[in-house]
Amino acid sequence: VKAIFCAGVGLLCSTFSPSPALATPAAAPPPYEGIYQPQGVDEIGLWREDDESERSLSNSPIVIRDEGLNTYLKGVLCEAVGFDRCGSARIYVIKEPTFNATMSPNGTMRVYSGMLLRMRSEAELAAILGHEFGHFENRHSLNQFKSHRSGTDLLSWAALLASMSPSYQSRSNFENLQISVYGNLYRYQRDQEREADLLGLGYLNSSKLRPQAASEVWQNLMKEIEASTSARGLKKPRFDRIAYTSSHPPQAERAGYLADLAIPEGATRDDGADRYRAEISKWIPEFLNDQILLNDFGASEYIINSLAETGWTADLWFARGELFRLRGNQRDYINASQFYREATILQSDMADAYRGLGLALMKTGERTDAQIALSKYLSLKPEATDAKMIGMMIPKEETE
Amino acid sequence: VNIKALSLKTIPTLFVLSAIAITSPAVANGYRETGKTVKVAKSELTVTPPQDWNLLSVRLGKNAETWTLDGEQLNDVTFYGGIAIGNPLVKERNKKREPLPKVGKNMLLIEIPELLEGTYRAYRNIPVFKVTSTEPANFLGNEGVQFTYEYVDNDKLTRKGEARATLIKGKLYMATFDAPRLHYFDKGLEDYRALLETAVLP
Repeated sequence: VKAIFCAGVGLLCSTFSPSPALATPAAAPPPYEGIYQPQGVDEIGLWREDDESERSLSNSPIVIRDEGLNTYLKGVLCEAVGFDRCGSARIYVIKEPTFNATMSPNGTMRVYSGMLLRMRSEAELAAILGHEFGHFENRHSLNQFKSHRSGTDLLSWAALLASMSPSYQSRSNFENLQISVYGNLYRYQRDQEREADLLGLGYLNSSKLRPQAASEVWQNLMKEIEASTSARGLKKPRFDRIAYTSSHPPQAERAGYLADLAIPEGATRDDGADRYRAEISKWIPEFLNDQILLNDFGASEYIINSLAETGWTADLWFARGELFRLRGNQRDYINASQFYREATILQSDMADAYRGLGLALMKTGERTDAQIALSKYLSLKPEATDAKMIGMMIPKEETE
Repeated sequence: VNIKALSLKTIPTLFVLSAIAITSPAVANGYRETGKTVKVAKSELTVTPPQDWNLLSVRLGKNAETWTLDGEQLNDVTFYGGIAIGNPLVKERNKKREPLPKVGKNMLLIEIPELLEGTYRAYRNIPVFKVTSTEPANFLGNEGVQFTYEYVDNDKLTRKGEARATLIKGKLYMATFDAPRLHYFDKGLEDYRALLETAVLP
């Protein structure tokens, strides 16, 4: 059965063994072949569908259409994959607080705001963008479509044959075949991810940025997931296990081979952390707010703390205050008040910090101080959408 | 006793039982007639609809109930009837892995919009949500809050919402109206408000 299976889905069997290429520094990418156009019915059809989806994406209300941000991201992509290649991708920033980026066959790159929040340098960002571009360059969507088709074709024929000899044995053979075909489809997808990682590091090694950053992305993600699960009282996650249906290699494996793929002499290169921070800082409050309202205390706290490694800002103190206040344990209000105060020390006209402070103090029974903070909020932001409601919480003489 | 005969007899009975199990009322969508006072959201809260409404059988949570005129995607009125301290507005998919914000002890009225926003964002994966106004308002004869909001739903359509809520003996009572910003929100708003006017908590 295995022989027939491999003949049917040769594509899948060729990628069984883990590639030895992942243990040495990644080679430079192949020379750019110029603008690519889809070939054959499958690919032309895939691109056509994708063009349609890109058209609706470009009008979508969840896309962040900030010219500065988009130009910057495009610049980083070009820096990573080379100025000749990067012209074939269009970047769309999606407002969605999860750690993700995707690439589709026609060159539509979707970058999630949650990913931008978690990156700490241009080099980390370039690692992700390069990985996604690797999917595009190697035409992974097309290959995956084809492998799915061959796999399911094989299963359809096998189901037909099995039904012609309705014995227990043929049924059981069919079920085994089904499990191995599906398992191999998932494995194939994971191998594509490894291939994109390899190509991504190839770009990064040839760029001006520090390639070691790629591995750090996954190390940070693992720490964040650990923080999230431990705050929720869940079992410590295993980062080295591959589930049957995993679409990606486990984080520990990726962190490991990405470190090996980076050229050692690249370690001293600039990672552009300052430039990245300068470009992204104006988005941090909004992205943090989206993250905090996901109600994932551990992950949010981890992200805030890691952003604060380069120094606490008023925005970060404020976000931390909101995080604790929204969790809403009695002890959290005390911490929250302190964080809001830190924010107002750094930025004395931060209206929302006074609002948070006032509400947190209300909860701990410090009514007088709460009312002072709330009236400060109203004096700084008289046109606030909740001004009337806050006004009700302050005695008349305070508001005048 | 002939064992074979017995088992043959029981087979039709099993069939009948399973048929009953399959066809037993999977609580179809209900109809709320004009002028008939009904209890909503498994609570003491009652409303007397000034026009006919539809009740959806899908319940977001134990104490949540959704009414609509033309389908919940076009106009959705949801009542939350007496959500107790420590409970989320809607049923959590996974208490441990995907916890939702809960009604807090000594909750302030101004925290209710935050609770709804947090629930929409975490439960429905809505990344773009904005509370556009928050004002004091009377609800069920108590001090309450009325707020409006706007968000991009999963179908990528921008929806607007208006809600009114209050806290009575620590329990949260709230009614929300959600509809597409384009045409339907303005069209259905007066119908929702008229329905809300009839809400009474004895």
